[in-house]
Amino acid sequence: MSTFIEQLVNGLTIGSFYALVALGYSMVYGVMKLINFAHGDLFAFGAYLGYTILTSAAGKVTASIGIWGGMAFTAGIVAICVAIAGVLVERIAYRPVYPSGRLSLVVSALGVAIFIQNSIMAIWGSRPQAFPASVVPSLRFSLLGIPVTALQVTILGISFALMFAIWVIVEKSTFGAAIRASALDRETATLLGIDVRKVIFFVFALGPGLGGVAGLMNGLYYRAISFNMGWNYGLKAFTATILGGIGNIPGAMIGGLLLGIVESLLSGYVSGAWKDVFVFLLLIATLIFRPTGILGEKTAEKV
Amino acid sequence: MHGKRKDGMRIFTTALAALAMLALASCGGASAGKTIKIALQAPITGDYAYEGQMAKQSVEVATELINKSGGVLGKQVEIVVVDDGSNPKDSALAAQKAVSQKVAAVIGSYGSSVTEPAADIYEKNKLVSVGYGCTAVRLTMDKERKFFFRTCGRDDAQGLFFGKYAVETMGAKRIAIMHDNSTFAKGVADEAKKALEPYIAAGKTEIVYFDAITPKEKDFSAAVTKLRETKPDVWYFTGYYPEAGLLLRQARDAGLGCPFIGGNAAINDDFVKIAGIDVAKGALMTQEPLVTDVTTPIAEQFKALYAEKFKELPSSPWPVYAADGLYALVGAIAKAGKIDSVAIADAMRTKMDGVEGVTGPVLFTERGDRKDVPYKMYMVSAEGKLIVVAK
Repeated sequence: MSTFIEQLVNGLTIGSFYALVALGYSMVYGVMKLINFAHGDLFAFGAYLGYTILTSAAGKVTASIGIWGGMAFTAGIVAICVAIAGVLVERIAYRPVYPSGRLSLVVSALGVAIFIQNSIMAIWGSRPQAFPASVVPSLRFSLLGIPVTALQVTILGISFALMFAIWVIVEKSTFGAAIRASALDRETATLLGIDVRKVIFFVFALGPGLGGVAGLMNGLYYRAISFNMGWNYGLKAFTATILGGIGNIPGAMIGGLLLGIVESLLSGYVSGAWKDVFVFLLLIATLIFRPTGILGEKTAEKV
Repeated sequence: MHGKRKDGMRIFTTALAALAMLALASCGGASAGKTIKIALQAPITGDYAYEGQMAKQSVEVATELINKSGGVLGKQVEIVVVDDGSNPKDSALAAQKAVSQKVAAVIGSYGSSVTEPAADIYEKNKLVSVGYGCTAVRLTMDKERKFFFRTCGRDDAQGLFFGKYAVETMGAKRIAIMHDNSTFAKGVADEAKKALEPYIAAGKTEIVYFDAITPKEKDFSAAVTKLRETKPDVWYFTGYYPEAGLLLRQARDAGLGCPFIGGNAAINDDFVKIAGIDVAKGALMTQEPLVTDVTTPIAEQFKALYAEKFKELPSSPWPVYAADGLYALVGAIAKAGKIDSVAIADAMRTKMDGVEGVTGPVLFTERGDRKDVPYKMYMVSAEGKLIVVAK
């Protein structure tokens, strides 16, 4: 039984990363009806930026203001830089091709993904990099008989806090209402006086910013980062988005967490070799039997 | 699409081979010079340039040693270097160049996909070639080549070494084997499993875990939790170092304390960085020995001359197999008594008793694989360096 709970916790940790990346996918899809393939690579970009800050001279700054202050400082810089990158991607690669239709957008998104991935490789090299071990001490303890690390608990806490914050912004604030309105019907939202460009700007800053912080946390937690890590997370987060209901913010969170737990139970009780086979079978089954995803009712409203 | 490319390649290589045959025919006659020319095909440029340079240096050293002790058939050995640029396309061109230089035999190359097209060209031209860093099983097992040999071990040879070591040296009763579904890692894992079968039949050990993880992922906590529940005495991971580093640390975090043994792709400096030295120290690895750890008489001469000429000894196991290739060819030529590919190939298969290379006897199987490839168990020291623990 305790092994089962342990596997659930393992799944939650994997899933919280998927969920954080999936949020960015889902927000962009909601507003632009575009699968932003570059999102996974922006996540990787965040991990590498964090790596550079922590291993460079700035690392000394962060070390001098304590571990919490240092992490907040690093996360802040990463979030801002990746948010700027996200907005630039939209300006340079998406806005000019938006009138030519969705196919052009998707092709452009793939191009940006390859561009970012190769830029990371050109700048930081193709070998995997390791976060300095000294940054975060590896504290292991037992929680109700389950071995966990202090870092695991912290990361879980922060991801849930971030997810909750996004949920509050999107579901409860006035600006969130504008985002949801633009997602439902872009033209009507414009007629009602919503500045859709501002909404797009916000979505492309918030989604990648959040993805960048997730990348940093991923690097801190697993310690190893590679230039092509974004692809894998992008793919899994995309799957999570479909599972939860694309364009639906709480759906993305639930989809991500669920995917993490399913993966962890599959490799824990079935077979690691077959894990991805079943995961993508689940994706296909969702697309066939419930294309709107678990919480997909909201997108159905607009029909 | 793939098939088309392959066809294109085949036409290209056939055309080249035909051209070369013409060139050969027009020149006529075998080489009757004062030296015996042997080609070294190696990645002098490209991704593996570092490996290629070390191979060139190793062969130069071996040549000097052989020539000092009289050469072969009363002639001195001369090395012709052809560069395959670390890629299959240039490999075909390099092979063509070697053929046109009318060499007696060829050493090369590094990397299985690079060696393959060249081996085909040498085969067509009836020229003996000895690969030194191409470990894919398919090179000798998918297609029968009369003139292709290799001095390095096959991907699956270390699986055998692991099985023996785990049971006989470590006395492991419960063995876990993990791979990453890649051809290489799965090949090693399957072979390790096969090597354990006689021990299992004798009731000496059992395999409690045999599964794969997905490469390029970062979170293996579910897999290591499952692994921990099987209570293994030893855990063999045959995949690559980025996953190995993550796996080991996550396993220790999950409370799995059993010895970890990696395959020869699992442990390097980056593995130590990713796992962290506190976790990485004590990790074991099955690997081809570095020349620093080889103590045969020829190895001692080789190391002394190499250090004198190039200061630092080769930092990877492969270049030394290129030198072994030269020793094997020279030995076979001596046994054959003439420069004739059929006779040399025959000698390589059947008459190599007493022929020694840097890493020990160089004997070959009927398919051209080296017999009894030496492996060693390495361990990560407290300083993060790799040290030998077993012969």
